[in-house]
Amino acid sequence: MVLTGAVRMSITGYSRRRVLGATVAGVATTALSGCGLFDDEPAPPEQPDPLQPLLDEAVALAASYDRAVAAQPGLASRLTPLAEDHRTHAAEISRLIGKTPPSAGPSASPPVGAPAETIATLRSAEQAAQKSAVALCRAAPAERAALIGSIAASRATHAEALR
Amino acid sequence: MNPQLGAALAAEEAAIYAYGIIGVNLSTTGDVTEARTAEQAHRGRRDYLVGRLAQLQASSAPSPAGYQLPFEVTDRAGALKLAIHVEDGVAQAWRPVLPVTTGNDRATALAAMTEAAVRATRWRRLAAVSPVTLPFPGRP
Repeated sequence: MVLTGAVRMSITGYSRRRVLGATVAGVATTALSGCGLFDDEPAPPEQPDPLQPLLDEAVALAASYDRAVAAQPGLASRLTPLAEDHRTHAAEISRLIGKTPPSAGPSASPPVGAPAETIATLRSAEQAAQKSAVALCRAAPAERAALIGSIAASRATHAEALR
Repeated sequence: MNPQLGAALAAEEAAIYAYGIIGVNLSTTGDVTEARTAEQAHRGRRDYLVGRLAQLQASSAPSPAGYQLPFEVTDRAGALKLAIHVEDGVAQAWRPVLPVTTGNDRATALAAMTEAAVRATRWRRLAAVSPVTLPFPGRP
């Protein structure tokens, strides 16, 4: 017990520790109320939404198409619609999980040391992304299953389009 | 989930019918092989659904003897257009199965929807339709 054997404060009758503790608690409550939370529990660390990886993949895939088109403009007519699909997915997932869609523009620079994108690397990236979307769809609550399923199917059609 | 499975069955049966019309309007080996493979896939899904609905002791509506086509099909261009229409429609029929199922039933529905979407992309490429993909296959 925290307050065992505490010295009584002469005027208030509260122990010094209790007074100190109350003050600390008051400060903590004030700090939390700044976040709009008015209970005494500390805010749990924010868990990323299970769809965050799906969003990250969509953004990364769109950027890799942009890099491929920047390197080989002749591929633009074939690859740009696929990049647009991924941007549409990213916007939809962002809306669902309450995030601002990341704005990776066409000028997004490749990670340092990244190999050049080819049709083959794009295709295997789509296949990997389809697999992870399928796994997410299987685990998803009912209200998200249709959207994730469509995104998985779209990624499969992209892999087909790159054959 | 039974109404959604019933709707998917109706779509698969309509697709099997449509591929009969599509097939007679195609002539190159590539086109004909594509259509035959697709029709077989739809027969497989139809059989799965008939079996699953029987397991669930759900009755399904008998398939109609004939269908009203959305447009007249008299040549290759019409056949390819109908094939795209049919595959998009099958994907749309499977999508509502996803929220009402779990586990293997959902995985099967997703596979059926995805395969229809991939065939729609292949038909779009053969028909030189651009773009060849949709952002949300199965969404009406």
